[in-house]
Amino acid sequence: MSGMTLTAVYGHLDCMIDSVSAVKKAGVTDFVATSPLPRHDLEHVIYEGKPSPVRWFTMFGAIFGGTLGFALASFTHLNWPMIIPAGKPLVSVPAFLVITFESTVLWGCLFTLVGLIVNCRLPGFGLQKELEDRRFSDDKFGLILNGLSAAQVEQWKKTLHGLGAQELTVTERSHG
Amino acid sequence: MQGLTYGAVTRDILRPLFKPSAAYLGLLGLALGIMAWGGYCWWYQLVHGLGAAGYTPPVFWGVYITTFVFWIGIGHAGTLISAILFLFRSRWRTGVYRAAEAMTIFAVMTAGLFPAIHVGRAWNAYWLFPYPNQRELWQNFKSPLMWDVFAVSTYFSVSTIFFYIGLIPDLAAVRDKTTGLVHKMYTHMSLGWRGTDRQWRHYMAAYGFFAAFATPLVLSVHSVVSWDFAMAQTMGWHSTLFPPYFVGGAIFSGCAMVITLLLPMSKIFDWGEYINTWHFESLAKMCLLTGAILTYAYAVEHYIAWYSDNPYEWGIFVYRAMGEEYAWVFYMMVFCNCLAPLVWWKKSWRQNWTILFIVSIIINVGMWFERYNIIASSLAHQFDPMSWVHYTPTWVELGIMLGSFGWFFVWFLLFIKVMPAVAVAEVKELIRPPLKSDEEAAA
Repeated sequence: MSGMTLTAVYGHLDCMIDSVSAVKKAGVTDFVATSPLPRHDLEHVIYEGKPSPVRWFTMFGAIFGGTLGFALASFTHLNWPMIIPAGKPLVSVPAFLVITFESTVLWGCLFTLVGLIVNCRLPGFGLQKELEDRRFSDDKFGLILNGLSAAQVEQWKKTLHGLGAQELTVTERSHG
Repeated sequence: MQGLTYGAVTRDILRPLFKPSAAYLGLLGLALGIMAWGGYCWWYQLVHGLGAAGYTPPVFWGVYITTFVFWIGIGHAGTLISAILFLFRSRWRTGVYRAAEAMTIFAVMTAGLFPAIHVGRAWNAYWLFPYPNQRELWQNFKSPLMWDVFAVSTYFSVSTIFFYIGLIPDLAAVRDKTTGLVHKMYTHMSLGWRGTDRQWRHYMAAYGFFAAFATPLVLSVHSVVSWDFAMAQTMGWHSTLFPPYFVGGAIFSGCAMVITLLLPMSKIFDWGEYINTWHFESLAKMCLLTGAILTYAYAVEHYIAWYSDNPYEWGIFVYRAMGEEYAWVFYMMVFCNCLAPLVWWKKSWRQNWTILFIVSIIINVGMWFERYNIIASSLAHQFDPMSWVHYTPTWVELGIMLGSFGWFFVWFLLFIKVMPAVAVAEVKELIRPPLKSDEEAAA
């Protein structure tokens, strides 16, 4: 994507939230907000309560795992049928529930992990250079607007400064 | 935590990383020495066979299974604190959960050694897992031992994932405070985490799901371990009481071990802001609750044995308390698990760090003896008096048991120098965020 990138650094959470709200209101979509800690208020402003798709990975993984666990236990007992006295069934639901439960949990977690990696785009080694500011994992919030024209940069610099940005940097967009 | 800033939190928590003091190196050396002794004992057993252990027919479960159950129990507090207390939004968990999670993983790693040590031919331990083979032989999935393989391996996998996911943002914080090769290493360990809105959004969703999965797992693992005993017909084992009894005991010992580990850590690293009396008191209260459950379970199993009017069942409980071989083990267990923690009912003693530390160690000693009491006495005193024996552990068994503590502490000591032992990002959530409006109001 072409254009210029404007990086705003914030020391105050309320200023950051106000700025993100202004950016969203103006219809800008190519922006990244960074934070050293999870903030639900910030997430709410950006995603407006839309749930993460990770949940679908979790659900699919749990169903897959449960089915696999029960199937594994059943298959192995049918594959090598031991004739057990007292009319005990080969495929025993109560006995296999433990394996089914453990497999549900294990595969549910593994799929959630995959969902996390896919959706977060991890490992994130190819992200844009502007995100590499060391303060963003410490005590500063960052708002990065991408694909701006020279006129838009000037306009946003003024707006974000007015909303409390402590530092504003303009760069050619690296990549990401 | 009033007056703390985000920057101060990062600085304080990352301060103990990397630079080892002489005392730290001394402790690490001691742990490595104990581990090496355990390793030698295991090597001796591998060379000389299982005869080196004190197994006396029909006692084929002894110190190894006792120590296995002990370490699995220790591993309970970490995921309990990190997952269950996360779902309950308990604020005191934040300071202690990272170290408790690490403790869980290292405890389960330690426990995982014991089935391999116990079976003797450790190189065949992979037979525990189902894999396609030319004889088309499969494990018996109706056996509680097989359930245990799945329960423990699932618990280890899920706890490790949960632990590592929690670490990612903090590893990124370490990355941003380092340079050179160390910086490169943490860049890879943090998976290139940048704390973007997209990353935090999915991260928090996934973290909640991990916690939701880990919660029933915490309760299930020791229930499954208890079925290793309760599904057998052996007197003193065959009881429906066992799952809650074992889970209560596991949380009891796990919380005590968290106190044992974190109390000196907080003192040495000067982390009073993050891990303090409030946390230790909360852990002591957890111990009081679970200790009361345990004491009740001890009483109930004796009552049920008497009330059932089954001479064999009642016989084993009389033997445990009055037989000359194991009575001292029984009274050790009662003193350490039922009586010693009672001092914590007094608030000032619950807040006294010396008392907290001493009682937490007593509890852990007691919990080892509890498992020994259950396992050894029941097997040594079965239905037929002709088979009654006295099982005594050999130096090899005790050496391996001691070595397991060395192994555990080596991992834990390495952890506190390489990874942030307190959750940086989550501690920041506890303090009031920097707000322009606050500054304006103050001005």
